[in-house]
Amino acid sequence: MKYDIFFAGVGGQGILTIGEVLAEVAHYKDIPANFYPSKGMAQRGGFVKAQLRLGRENVGPNIPQRGADMVIAMEQSESLKAIPFIKPGGDFVLYSDIWAPTAVALGKAPYPAFAQITEQVKLAGARLVHIAPGQLPEYAGERVHPNLYVLGVIMGQTALGTLIRSEDVEHIIQTRFKRNTEANSFAYRSGLGMPLVVS
Amino acid sequence: MKKLITGNEAIAYGALRAGVKAVTGYPGTPSTGCLSSLLAMNLVDTYVEWSVNEKVALEVAAGVAWSGHRALCTMKMSGLNVAYDSLISVAYSGCDGGLVVYVADDPGANAGMCEQDSRSFAVMADMPMLEPATVAETYALTKFAFDLSERIKGPVFLRLVTGIADSYAEVEIEQPVPVSQAAPLLIKDIQRFTKAGAVIATNQHRDLIQRLEQAGQITDEVRLNKLSLSVKPGGLGILASGIAAAYLEEGFEAAAPFGFNREDVSTLEIKVVHPFPVAEARKMLEHCQTILILEELEPLIERGIIVEAQRMGYRGKITGKLDGVFSRIGEYGVPQVVQGIESVLRLGIPENLLSGNTQALKLAAARPITVCAGCPHRGTYIAIDKAIKKLRLKKNEVMVTGDIGCTILGMNPPFDLIWTEISMGASVSLAQGYVHAGVKTPVIATIGDSTFFHAGIAGLVNAIQHQIDLTLVIMDNRWTAMTGMQVNPGTPCNNGASAYQEIDIARIIPALGIEHFWTVDPFDVEETAGVIHQAMTLPGVKVVLARQECAIQAQRQGKQAGKVRVVEENCNLCKLCLMVTGCSAFSLGANAIEIDPELCYGCGVCIETCHHDALVAEEA
Repeated sequence: MKYDIFFAGVGGQGILTIGEVLAEVAHYKDIPANFYPSKGMAQRGGFVKAQLRLGRENVGPNIPQRGADMVIAMEQSESLKAIPFIKPGGDFVLYSDIWAPTAVALGKAPYPAFAQITEQVKLAGARLVHIAPGQLPEYAGERVHPNLYVLGVIMGQTALGTLIRSEDVEHIIQTRFKRNTEANSFAYRSGLGMPLVVS
Repeated sequence: MKKLITGNEAIAYGALRAGVKAVTGYPGTPSTGCLSSLLAMNLVDTYVEWSVNEKVALEVAAGVAWSGHRALCTMKMSGLNVAYDSLISVAYSGCDGGLVVYVADDPGANAGMCEQDSRSFAVMADMPMLEPATVAETYALTKFAFDLSERIKGPVFLRLVTGIADSYAEVEIEQPVPVSQAAPLLIKDIQRFTKAGAVIATNQHRDLIQRLEQAGQITDEVRLNKLSLSVKPGGLGILASGIAAAYLEEGFEAAAPFGFNREDVSTLEIKVVHPFPVAEARKMLEHCQTILILEELEPLIERGIIVEAQRMGYRGKITGKLDGVFSRIGEYGVPQVVQGIESVLRLGIPENLLSGNTQALKLAAARPITVCAGCPHRGTYIAIDKAIKKLRLKKNEVMVTGDIGCTILGMNPPFDLIWTEISMGASVSLAQGYVHAGVKTPVIATIGDSTFFHAGIAGLVNAIQHQIDLTLVIMDNRWTAMTGMQVNPGTPCNNGASAYQEIDIARIIPALGIEHFWTVDPFDVEETAGVIHQAMTLPGVKVVLARQECAIQAQRQGKQAGKVRVVEENCNLCKLCLMVTGCSAFSLGANAIEIDPELCYGCGVCIETCHHDALVAEEA
């Protein structure tokens, strides 16, 4: 199997964590992998991208344009930066959160509408998997953190779910995060479309 | 044991496997992760420090190596410029213990500095330089670099690019080798360890050249570069340097449907970027009719092979950057492999095979990098702005020089305050030049704490000696923040790091004889603005120390400056708070501005921007 994932979002959303979990799953299952996160300079709120390349030995870190089997984007405007990388026929997963830059909030700069994104995804020949921030479930009265929910959706609704096993993803989530294990499991399984199994 | 590690960590583990005695460096993206991973290991037998700057780091490491022990020194490309004065001299002297200098370059300028190709520094220093194509190779090459250094008795460069330094991949890690406890060598030999006198210096130069030649012989013997000649001669030969080699197979796959046959191609994957692999390059020239060179940034390998081709009377075609096919800008990837193949073989590969729709990028909202919510620099920027207004001047009339690190973010909206950025510490000296040029308005220099210690202090001493009229604002957030929170000499000691002596900038400045010196709290914008205004009206060198801990670090320690609450009924959504502060904790609600309680650190800088008492401070 050869499978490339391009990530785009902003700092603070936990998008790199999705990539780290998947890289650890690959490591756990002896799948060759190269994970290249790129944080830029901002601590929070700046553009973040990452590239995960699965299944090739000695692979270069950068995915070529039109080469990503899947895009995972967690900010509406930043998702546009992933458009050149999606492979025709690939899965474009968009969590349509909006982190408006100050100039946008002040009404001094434009911000792309959701319809513009869907048009670009269509032009790129990709399949859109849309997750609206409003659909995040609550756990113990609070909205779950989006990244593990998004990871669940990916495992449930894209080709990646047929290449690696959901049990292995859950195993890594549980070994990696020692706190909030139930909330994490709930977020992931909600995304996956599975009911929560309370142990 | 197989581990998922970064290229930076691969160097750290490789050095431990080589039994490294001391590791020094200065933080710099993308090299930082190497030394910080070693610090996190709390090693007992290996000494690890963040040095005050790269020159000092190199000199400390050289002392270890001259005493017969193994040392590693880490830096980014800009840091190598700082260390270079000493490095040339150390290379002349050679070393007894293995000395490896790790430098990280950043093709594509992901971290926003120059696209400097440090391979040229290896040429200038006559030092061998090794460069891996992958994370796994990084580990192996690091171990080898120490052996090579000791065999030739001279320092060796190890170069990574961002794509390897920050990439995670699986690497087979061995147990660390015990660190040598041998007594240090104390070699008194002025012929080797001083430069005074033409005889000494020219003899050392001769030895240096011999060491480089020996390095070439050794790397040839161990076949570090991977040469693979096609069965049938006369075809295409590709030289791929460093990371470019990692894209070859994928490029071949992409070109295969267009009639490209991998079997007809010879390849030379270059891991020894200096000295130039003459013997292997000659074999390629003898075997191949056409040569394609894949290397990021400067045409170093390309020039090397053109020299050999000329000496051999080669009549084939050599393609790279010098004939205009490739750019000297940016990273390489699969598209460059395919483009190169197409340019020499003309297979009819469509240009857009690996180019996506970049129109979408134009629709994306601009996202200028800015300071975090709660960042103390925000208050300082607003205060400088106010001070300028108090003098009835405009922002475009007052030169505010900037420096490296988070403090430069005042160049961006909404502050639009800082005009320049050169290198570590340059703000103070550059400002003096503007004064000499006759700028009539007050000149302000801004700098961070780590940057001040690194190189800014020398510029300040110069300004004092020559009695320049300028105001220096030291924005002291107590950490080397932008590279991910490293300690510097001014960082308060109680941070869990091993013991060190804290050096207080507030005690350094008066000791330099500066009469006009104030320490202010940048969260108190009015007071800070008043002090900066006063400083701007006085003659001579004035220093304002704006001191408040980085909010990210403070929050990690459980600290909270306060809380700011929105009084909804008072807010008329004029957005002035957002306009002045640009704070990311704000968002627009339906009837009032909203504050994200998780992001708000309670710095309170926004409170006085509001004319309607809609923002109030509360206890944290």
